[in-house]
Amino acid sequence: MSARRALAALAALGIAALGLAVPAEVAGPAQAAPAQAAPARAAAEGDDGYRATRELTRVFANADGTTYSFPTYRVTVTADKTENLRGRQRIRISWKGAQPSGGRASNPYGENGLAQEYPVVVLQCRGVDGASVPVAKRVRPETCWTASVAQRSQVSRSEGEATWRHDLYADDAAKQRTSGVTPFPGAQECPTADIEPYATRLTPFVARGGRTHLACDAAHMAPEAAVGAAFPPAEIAAFTEANGTGSVQLEVRSETENESLGCNHRVACSVVVIPIVGLSCDAPSQPPTAGDQACRKGGRFAPGSSNFSGEGIDQAVGPALWWSESNWRNRFTIPITFGLPPDTCDIRDPRPPTGFYGSELLAQAATQWAPAYCLAEDRFKFQLNQMSDEAGFALMSSGGGVAAAVSSEHERRGSDPVGYAPTAVTGFSIAYVVDEPDNGGERTRLRLNARLLAKLLTQSYLGSDLGRGHPGMAGNPLAIMNDPEFQELNPGLSTTTQEAGATLLSLSESSDVVEQLTAYIAADPDARAFVSGKADPWGMKVNPEYEDIELPRSEWPLLDTYVPATENTCRKENPAVYFTQLAAPVTALRKISEALLDAWPNVQTRCELDASTQQYKLGRVDRQSFGSRFLLGVTSLGDAARYGLRSAALQTRPGTYVAPSDASLGAAVRLARQERPRAPFVLDQADVRKAGSAYPGTMVVYTAARLRNLPKADAAKVAQFIRVSTTEGQRRGSGNGELPEGFLPIRRTGVTAKLFASAQDVADAVAAQRAPAGGDGPGGGGPGGPGGDTSGGPAGGSGGGVPGGDVPSAELPAEEAAPGADVEAQPTAVPAMPGTEPVSSRLGGGLLPALVLVGLLAVAGAGGLRFFVRVPR
Amino acid sequence: MNTARRAIPRWTRTWVAVLLALGSVATLPGTASAAAYAQIEGTGSTWSELIVQQWISDVDSNGMKVVYTGGGSSKGRKDFAQASTDFAISEIPYQGVDEAGNADTSNGREFAYLPVVAGGTAFTYQLKVGDQLVRNLRLSGETIAKIFTNQITNWNDPAIAEDNNGRSFPSLPITPVVRSDGSGTTAQFTTWMDHQYPSIWRPFFGRSGLTSYYPRKGRAVGQAGSDQVMNTIAGFAGNGSIGYVEYSYPVNKDYPVVKVLNKGGYYVEPTQYNVAVALTKARINQDKSSQLYLTQVLDGVYTATDPRAYPLSSYSYMVIPTGRNDPRMSTAKRQTLADFLYYSLCSGQSKAGPYGYSPLPLNLVQAGFQQIAKLKQADSAVDLTSRDVKSCNNPTFDGKNLAGNKLAQIAPQPAACDKVGAGPCGTATGTGTPSTDDPGAAGGGEGGGPAAGGGTAGGGGAGGAGGTAGGSVGAPGGDAAPVIDPETGAVVGGDVAATSADGAAIYANPTELVAGRAADTQAFGWLAAVELIALVLLPGLYVASLKRRRSVR
Repeated sequence: MSARRALAALAALGIAALGLAVPAEVAGPAQAAPAQAAPARAAAEGDDGYRATRELTRVFANADGTTYSFPTYRVTVTADKTENLRGRQRIRISWKGAQPSGGRASNPYGENGLAQEYPVVVLQCRGVDGASVPVAKRVRPETCWTASVAQRSQVSRSEGEATWRHDLYADDAAKQRTSGVTPFPGAQECPTADIEPYATRLTPFVARGGRTHLACDAAHMAPEAAVGAAFPPAEIAAFTEANGTGSVQLEVRSETENESLGCNHRVACSVVVIPIVGLSCDAPSQPPTAGDQACRKGGRFAPGSSNFSGEGIDQAVGPALWWSESNWRNRFTIPITFGLPPDTCDIRDPRPPTGFYGSELLAQAATQWAPAYCLAEDRFKFQLNQMSDEAGFALMSSGGGVAAAVSSEHERRGSDPVGYAPTAVTGFSIAYVVDEPDNGGERTRLRLNARLLAKLLTQSYLGSDLGRGHPGMAGNPLAIMNDPEFQELNPGLSTTTQEAGATLLSLSESSDVVEQLTAYIAADPDARAFVSGKADPWGMKVNPEYEDIELPRSEWPLLDTYVPATENTCRKENPAVYFTQLAAPVTALRKISEALLDAWPNVQTRCELDASTQQYKLGRVDRQSFGSRFLLGVTSLGDAARYGLRSAALQTRPGTYVAPSDASLGAAVRLARQERPRAPFVLDQADVRKAGSAYPGTMVVYTAARLRNLPKADAAKVAQFIRVSTTEGQRRGSGNGELPEGFLPIRRTGVTAKLFASAQDVADAVAAQRAPAGGDGPGGGGPGGPGGDTSGGPAGGSGGGVPGGDVPSAELPAEEAAPGADVEAQPTAVPAMPGTEPVSSRLGGGLLPALVLVGLLAVAGAGGLRFFVRVPR
Repeated sequence: MNTARRAIPRWTRTWVAVLLALGSVATLPGTASAAAYAQIEGTGSTWSELIVQQWISDVDSNGMKVVYTGGGSSKGRKDFAQASTDFAISEIPYQGVDEAGNADTSNGREFAYLPVVAGGTAFTYQLKVGDQLVRNLRLSGETIAKIFTNQITNWNDPAIAEDNNGRSFPSLPITPVVRSDGSGTTAQFTTWMDHQYPSIWRPFFGRSGLTSYYPRKGRAVGQAGSDQVMNTIAGFAGNGSIGYVEYSYPVNKDYPVVKVLNKGGYYVEPTQYNVAVALTKARINQDKSSQLYLTQVLDGVYTATDPRAYPLSSYSYMVIPTGRNDPRMSTAKRQTLADFLYYSLCSGQSKAGPYGYSPLPLNLVQAGFQQIAKLKQADSAVDLTSRDVKSCNNPTFDGKNLAGNKLAQIAPQPAACDKVGAGPCGTATGTGTPSTDDPGAAGGGEGGGPAAGGGTAGGGGAGGAGGTAGGSVGAPGGDAAPVIDPETGAVVGGDVAATSADGAAIYANPTELVAGRAADTQAFGWLAAVELIALVLLPGLYVASLKRRRSVR
């Protein structure tokens, strides 16, 4: 038996080896890709980048045998990262010296980008270029990924649309009526492909496994290819600005995202960049055919123009024929390598997961940390369940979760003291996607101050004509791009009003992020004055509904009630609060990041007749068009780094604008102070203003856990988590257990030393579970809970075992003999009353002093009168 | 690889090993050891989106990449039919033909339904008395149906007062907020109305049956997506509005929901416990030949007589492709789908409660595993070993002792003041915490969310006139509650009088708060001003008068 087994193992091995060789052999109908000469000057930029320059010329052969050459473009392409990539990582590709593009599409990705002229086509392909590379591993059009048929095949085109048949550099086979695959598929396989007299060119896709997808219609595409899928296409027909420069962020895909393309740490892949300069054409027939003429066309759109309506373009200068020899020979092939896939947890791991609940700020770090826990035998299965800080804290307090991830001190709900261990330094980002006017690229620096943020949050921009009727702010600008204050800070942007420019996409639920953001506004005298009713220097006033709103606050309310009066049938049928439809906050930062990534505002003001149900409906507006994007949103620094979103620089003191960076986050940490041991550090925004160099959005995420009555096993896990995450979890990198971008590492020394020390202290206290109940530990009642703060002794709040209202109290293991004096705490004030809120009236506030003043003046006046003026008796 | 497989006859274990080696190599070179995954993509329900997104971030550590973009159940079913996604999540099955007469089928794509997450369709509202948010509103199903069909249009309607045991609300028009996009939440709600209140629903709708597109009329407002429904209701202008969303939306926003009257005579909230109890009465279409196999039959849920059952409980389905030659599927994708579902049905259910959903009970999980097995039938290279009910970390049952719904047993009984003719209870809703008199309730690990604080309004009188309204609501046998619940063995009902006596429920005050009346504000404002002026001027006048007197003398 054992001999047989050995034999079987050997056989298996042999087949495995064979299998590995398979992809190499199945090269498909390898079209003799002429080994392309290496680019003129290809030199790596640093270790990890790419830079190359090529000269690209469009040539027409004339009927008399002469040739005509267009001016040559000397194009330089650079890429910032090319090695050790992960799936869905974004790499920045820039170029200069290219022919300016025209007819910009509203969305350049996938098939949506086809109706543009002189774009730069950027694709991900399997294989690399080079004379020494075996043919099977070379990049060719058949190994380049596109999500749709239209991007790779031209099916049943008339003579005037078959310009590829006149390509100067194409071989004879490629000039036939049908080409691309031999033998050409019959009507059975591809019914629309071979129809006389129309011309068809197929560019099949060859999957890594060797299977060839004919790409003659949607049914003959690889499984990952789909139009309108949940996962959008990455390949792009990018726009070159009038000065010949341009850049894109290409999302690369590993075999996990795209199995058919199949790039991994062993299978070499490339990013192919093809600046389109127009087809080179062979000698025309006499007289020239429609195809000859079409091949010689030079475009109908002016450089820098837009084509948002998707009108037809001149095929010869469009991106669809990127595979034609004229275009393909102009390619820049940027070799990329993928890193080893990280080890992953086994789904069959029988250990139940241990859930931490809370802050989304930690999401990106938690994703990278999780495998480092489940993969270690002596650790546990860590999970971060993202929810509002408050809800997470409540779950931790009630025993529903072992620990919470929060960014500020929260009001304690039970008698058990809570320790806050600093776990990560990150923060919020005011992320933006803003395009320069006239297709001039993306704005790379944006400056905002607290008053501008206050204007956005208080819904003080009118949005559109619909908002003009709002009482008390008729003179306000429609949107931030029309606001002189914004224009002064960010000169040169388009002033065309967009509704999305009237709002900052934010959270609808309570969050420490909102708390910090509003604290920043509250600390700024100008912003505070604006909120309390003082017009800004240009006369803009706060929306009266938000006047004097209390700041800071953890939940931003929707206070407006204005429903525009309009004759529009749809809006009459759907009366809605216009400013609420503009703001449309969402439940998660992730949704905000996605809205920014897709340039799709969450503005819900679209109102139209739904044809299928014959009802008028409100809904979300369209995605913004490339070239005229303008969108602002609050997200986390982790998300911003992960998705390549840009973060605005925020004003600290007048004239100083600070963007998030290691230095500015560190400066903020330096300012943060801890009031009591094991309590959170507090960043006072007044200090931030004074210091100038600190980023106001800096936030520390804490692991908050009970210091008493946490079950032993859970306590050990939480302590372990704190210790591991503040040591090995602070190494920067993209691997398991490492700290992603968007976070400032906490270290034993330097500015974060105090965070580190506090974390270790809390870890010890969590492990020990000996803190006195209601004792001097942190978080005695929290802010505004005078009852709790004083409970140094045995009072113990509404402690364990007391059926306080409907609080399920069974989670509190009362058996755990409580050290100290708090035996059998008496229930104190079981039904917690809501905190008394300060009520103030500005009228009342001013009236008393005024009246006193009047009284004093009267007394003085009367006295003076009596003294100086002797009334004749 | 198919040719190789065909060439091998059937047989000894050794050959199977060879076959497996071949299969794994041919499909996933480079990764021999761990299960290889490929990204799967889906669209659909926003009802279940909150927890699905959390699962997606959980399985990232397993190397599984899942993309889910919501968009509504109707979109989910359509995208799946067009083969542009790998799975869909929907609250309702394919309808054959939708209400607009368009095809609602899978377009020939082979598929199976399986349940993924349960929850309650909640009615969240903003209603202020004085300036205080009411957090303990109770409504019967009939009242709800009448509100959403524009028959009850004001909060002072006697039917609402009756539901609240005589406590009346101020005169304020009701604004129903409905979904404007194609929505499974709408489908679930209208299914319930069509079954339970056909005489109210059908004349309004103009025909019978459910709809994904709510027929908005009159004062009602349509909004796209659950987020927007929530924003509209919770906004300052939302006073008087009421809408339907999955319970997790109000829970996450800490916003109140309506306690709905069940057939057991109690007004209950859709907590995980109450939904789980109700779903034990769900029947599942077990006809394997039926296109609707495994789809839910909820009549028993709507009419469940357990005092805890929330009537509008239901679950979402995932639609998975089961065809052997499915255009989008590969071994790695099927494996990802299978393992993602294994996680979702098992460990993933443990966070259902904290997120405002309810974990799936055993019967549904078992049915789910039968569907996952179809992925292996389509492709034998899919590995399903050790992925079964026994290894399942689901909180509602114990893999080693599969008898009995653990959660339904530990589910707390409703508080006595939630009974018809009693109360209403003063405790706040929308906190994820059960309203109960049982002090030991909500035990066991995944306990409730934020502790229910002490209501909103201070003070408040005692229960008010106890049974005045009781008769007309027609709580049959309310007082003579059954002693033992046949399903769980728990004692039911019991000493109603005793608990309600000591209950000392904290109410929002049923009468309008004095501080809230505009007229009062004005009058007292003037009074204050006059007093202030007097305060300043009187001493001076007094002194002046003294002097005058003196000088006169």
